[in-house]
Amino acid sequence: MFSVKPTKPTFRSYLPPVQTDVKTTIEPPPKKVEPKLLQGEIVVNEVNFVRKCLSADSSQEGLWGKLICTNFKVSFIPTDPPSEQKSHLSHLLLGQHDIPLTCLEQVVTVNDTKGKKKVLGSNQKLKFNPTELILYCKDLRIIRFCFLEAGPEGAKKVCLAIAHYSHPADLPLLFGFEYQGRRYHDSKEQRVNDSIPRGGLRTPIFDRPSDWDREIKRTGASEWRVCSVNENYAISPSLPEHIVVPVSLADQDLKQNSIYFMNQRIPVWCWNHPNGSALVRMGSIVDPLQQRRIDQRFIPAITKSHPQRSEVIRSDLDKCLPNIQDLQCAFIKIRHICVIDPFEESEERWLSSIENTRWLEYVRAFLKHSAEMVYHLDGKNASVILQEEEDRDLNCVVSSLVQLMLDPHYRSLVGFQSLVQKEWVMAGHRFLDRCNHLKKNDKDESPLFMLFLDCVWQMMNQYPAAFEFTETYLTVLSDSMWIPLFSTFLFNSPKQRAQYLVDFAKNKAIPQGEDQLVYFPPVWDWSQQYSMADQTLFNNPMFVGKGAFGQNGEVKAFRRAKKTYSATLRGTPASLRNGQKGGEDSLARRGSWLSELKPDFSLVKDESPSERFFRDCLARPADQQSLLIPLLLPSHLALWKLYFLRWVPEACISKGGPITAYHKLSQLVDEIEILQSHLRQYKRPSPASTPLSSQRRMYFKASSPHDPPSPLDYLTSSFPFTPRGNLCRRSTYGTPISKFLNGARIWLSTETLDNDPL
Amino acid sequence: MGASQLGVQRGATSRHSLGMFSARSLQELPGSSLCPTSGARVPRCSLVPAASLPARPNVDEEERRQEWDFLDLKADYSRMGLPNSLWKLSPVNQHYKVSDTYPADLFVPQSATPPVIVGSSKFRSRGRFPTLSYYSKENHAAICRSSQPLSGFSARCLEDEQMLEAILRSNPRSDFMYVVDTRPKLNAIANRAAGKGYENEDNYFNIKFQFIGIENIHVMRNSQQKMLEACEQRSPSMSDFLEGLESSGWLKHIKAVLDAGIFIAKAIAEEGVSVLVHCSDGWDRTAQVCSVACVLLDPHYRTLRGFMILIEKDWISFGHKFSHRCNHLVGDPKEVSPVIDQFLECAWQIMEQFPCAFEFNARFLITIHSHVYSCQYGNFIGNNHRERRALGLRERTHSLWSYLWKNKADYMNPLYRPDHRQTQGLLRPSTAPYCFKSWRGLYNRFDQGMHPRQSVEDYLSAIQEETQQLEEQLASHQRKIAQLEQEGTVTWGAVSCDKSPTAWALGRDMGLANTPQDYAGGFVTTSPCQQKAPDGSLLLLTHDCNLSNGSDQESGFADVSCLSPLSEDSARDPDSDEAAYSAA
Repeated sequence: MFSVKPTKPTFRSYLPPVQTDVKTTIEPPPKKVEPKLLQGEIVVNEVNFVRKCLSADSSQEGLWGKLICTNFKVSFIPTDPPSEQKSHLSHLLLGQHDIPLTCLEQVVTVNDTKGKKKVLGSNQKLKFNPTELILYCKDLRIIRFCFLEAGPEGAKKVCLAIAHYSHPADLPLLFGFEYQGRRYHDSKEQRVNDSIPRGGLRTPIFDRPSDWDREIKRTGASEWRVCSVNENYAISPSLPEHIVVPVSLADQDLKQNSIYFMNQRIPVWCWNHPNGSALVRMGSIVDPLQQRRIDQRFIPAITKSHPQRSEVIRSDLDKCLPNIQDLQCAFIKIRHICVIDPFEESEERWLSSIENTRWLEYVRAFLKHSAEMVYHLDGKNASVILQEEEDRDLNCVVSSLVQLMLDPHYRSLVGFQSLVQKEWVMAGHRFLDRCNHLKKNDKDESPLFMLFLDCVWQMMNQYPAAFEFTETYLTVLSDSMWIPLFSTFLFNSPKQRAQYLVDFAKNKAIPQGEDQLVYFPPVWDWSQQYSMADQTLFNNPMFVGKGAFGQNGEVKAFRRAKKTYSATLRGTPASLRNGQKGGEDSLARRGSWLSELKPDFSLVKDESPSERFFRDCLARPADQQSLLIPLLLPSHLALWKLYFLRWVPEACISKGGPITAYHKLSQLVDEIEILQSHLRQYKRPSPASTPLSSQRRMYFKASSPHDPPSPLDYLTSSFPFTPRGNLCRRSTYGTPISKFLNGARIWLSTETLDNDPL
Repeated sequence: MGASQLGVQRGATSRHSLGMFSARSLQELPGSSLCPTSGARVPRCSLVPAASLPARPNVDEEERRQEWDFLDLKADYSRMGLPNSLWKLSPVNQHYKVSDTYPADLFVPQSATPPVIVGSSKFRSRGRFPTLSYYSKENHAAICRSSQPLSGFSARCLEDEQMLEAILRSNPRSDFMYVVDTRPKLNAIANRAAGKGYENEDNYFNIKFQFIGIENIHVMRNSQQKMLEACEQRSPSMSDFLEGLESSGWLKHIKAVLDAGIFIAKAIAEEGVSVLVHCSDGWDRTAQVCSVACVLLDPHYRTLRGFMILIEKDWISFGHKFSHRCNHLVGDPKEVSPVIDQFLECAWQIMEQFPCAFEFNARFLITIHSHVYSCQYGNFIGNNHRERRALGLRERTHSLWSYLWKNKADYMNPLYRPDHRQTQGLLRPSTAPYCFKSWRGLYNRFDQGMHPRQSVEDYLSAIQEETQQLEEQLASHQRKIAQLEQEGTVTWGAVSCDKSPTAWALGRDMGLANTPQDYAGGFVTTSPCQQKAPDGSLLLLTHDCNLSNGSDQESGFADVSCLSPLSEDSARDPDSDEAAYSAA
């Protein structure tokens, strides 16, 4: 076994800088700058005397250092790293200036003097010496390097290497395969010593019947069974090996009828409502002539599995929701106006440009459709079948949203991860194609998972205490899609995963029978990426604070003394909570538009049953333990700023933003937890109890009056990310036309002059 | 209700301006216990709107007088350090003789003599000469305000030039000053034809002249109406809403006001340069811009009391024409404009960006907004101080400010952290268009099912309740331990010996954890709460009904109610800890 290889470039990668005599000041000190390499990572090419731009506007501000391309990432090592205090989320495997190759969307080289520009692909030639390299990243960063002081040949070679290595020819060439092989062997000893099953992962993976069994029991789906008819992917290449079907259907039935479904995606169970109705998903029926046959076989079986034998609702998602190309198109547009367009140009017509992308409209459409499914399941007691041609894209979004709205279990961190595992990974969402990791077919690329995360964020934005995790978690999860080290987002189906991992295990001499999760872990093992301390940024203080109730029996008993208070807190009558209070509203507002804004109750008459259901839901006191219906009027949907604008310096609010509230709430919750743990120690003094510090779940700890006041100046609305150095659009030459127009606007004011009264 | 009619003729909405004053509604008014009324309809010829007139004017006279004395503008000026060697209180407008729309007490530079002031006032629209609005103790920079000069195409006024120079000289560290005209340049130029206009840089000593294009009251009125139409659509698509909102231009106007405020705040705090602000008459845009700058500059104006005094100072005393702009009486529809709405919204937008920087919550802003229009209190009646004095409002009506103060528990933001570096000093909000939202809490407040029902305040209250319970429990345990130890049985002695190091350490930890300063923001409101409703449950109820309409999710963390009587406990607890442990 080799250990980490010493850095050994394959060829001489840089020339001495040409004009060092001119700019002696920027000459780096004779300090060795070495990249931090992972197991199995090798340097492909590197170039020195590169300047990384740090801010969008002034191209003068920058960091000098070495640009390196490895088989995993593009790395930049500053010769004189600025002594910035460690203030935010630091990735264990990636440095501040590193970009995984899979995260690159586009590699653009520019020669300013010749006015040339080229987008580089794999195995391409470059006819000019680049003066600049611009990397457009899938996580919306734009990173710029200048080569004015670097050797022209060296710069060119690094650019070509980056372009080449970011277009891997085949899946096993993604760095994860190399890395996890090394990692497996290097950490073998440690693992033998503490052999925790499944690598200590708490998230169910749904690759075993037992995970499904547990889910069936948890939801009380007694009329459904785990069936292994797809073992070895015998009937469907994209379904998991173990599926859940109605007890009344025999394996033989399933086998015989599977051919009538697209990709043999027969109806499989997703989730059960406590009232007995089930959520089922399936592919479309290939031959319309067989429709009757299917209807007679499967629909009655699903009905039979419902305790009340109530009707089954079928929803064809292809007919009512945007398709994957629409979504990709919307995402490209919204990314464009958020990060790529020069800020001044998007500013004037910000709302209509957002509207033009249709992204929010699509987010709303998915939430709305999911809410309608919730109406059938919860309000009408009916089982629902989600049907989509392939059952691998839109169904994933809708089925997981429906479950999030109905089942509080999925709003916990582990529950959410199991939901993604169940409805996306095991259900055969084509992550490899949709993420376009191999950059082979742009047509298949689509941000469905991103759309799902945005929908979750919208719900989180409306119900801030309902989720155990934070928007930081969702953002980090979306970023993890572009780090090719985890099995979660690398494959198109469980079958493909199994195939590749068997080959992988063979090649890397991993013993047979070893658990996949151990030798190629999923993203859910967050300790691979972040320290325990940083992972506390995933915890929502309001959820944690809420959880403090009820867990501790003593506290509960104690609170009885204040029952009225607590009862009010949790169950205020809806009439009072929904803003229809008598007194203040009946206040006449003289000449004010407010008196015109009062609700018009006559409109309520012609509402549909589902509208009525939603209205009733929303009128009930918010009980986070069960149903969560998102509000869907356009004014309730917002742009997910942390995700879309975290790198945009113009949108960054220093010392402000929601993080400041998060900060204070975290401190409060931390304080409660300290107090609780003290109480527990009084009750049951046990010397073996774990030290408090390791249990603390909040990133921001309660401060004491003796602590020096911490400045916390790094808290910005982008926290824990920073725009600095991460969004360097190319400066436009001369005065941008919009600037000119802005100036002119003062002159070309719209108002008529005689309108000005005085 | 047709959206198209909405607020169309705000001036002509007389059909509901009186009809709604039924006896019932008045009895349900939040402040109705203060002004019992027969509920009889008052003929509309009365200049003072009906609701604000107490039926028994003599009964609560003493109380009412105290109410009106609750806010004292002079106290705010002395908080700023005035009068001092640079600025003096001028008696020149004592009887509203120089400017009948200005207050009686005005601060002017020490060197400004009455002839200079009077001369300058003759050269300004409505006699509104340059006078002080805000003074920064730290660097002597000041915000002054006035109306436009009557410069026409070439007119000059020596006194006015002297006045500006005097202002410049009262900032000894600075060698120039800004003159900010908040109008679009074109409007200002057009005014020159009418013998008005703006300062000529050549005629004044070391001024830097700057236009900031905030549109006039007519544009704002139309814009708000369009925005309301966008908010009022019954089942809008995403594009209906977004396009409606954008084409209304409302958020753009809010941004313009905020941008102007930021410009002035930065000039004061960062450059230490004094600023003279004016628009046309200096009572609309000038009021907006000066008060926004004050909110950004001075943390005091981000407190409950400070915000009230800011409105009292820059709006009420400097003669914002509330009666006309809010159309309290049927008047000229062209005089109506949501100028104060825009200021409150600016404050809300800043709150959204800095959720921990304000002592008050969005409900506070919404309540003020309601009462600006309701005429239930006398504060906003009339167009200027002279009118108010003539109407005898102090004798005949109640003051909103003391009502708000009495109920301040409803308006506290428990996330407020006055001690925090993040919230001190100048706030630098972002005015990128991403940072402006539509204020659903105000504009869609009556829509059914519009508001998410899960709110941070519930949870913060819950957390606070939890903390309180734990601390009570802790205290009771400690009492028990102390008791047991006093009993001093042999076994117990041994056990407690065993435990004591841990216990001691814990006790110390606890002291650390109990950070009174950290809680200060959240828990200060105990007493008024109890005053209002001693029973916790009742209290919460009132809270909920008051706020869930006004303060929705969009207002973020703004409205967390703070009910916990914890402050007492946390103050007491460390002591009892120590007592327990020293006994041990």
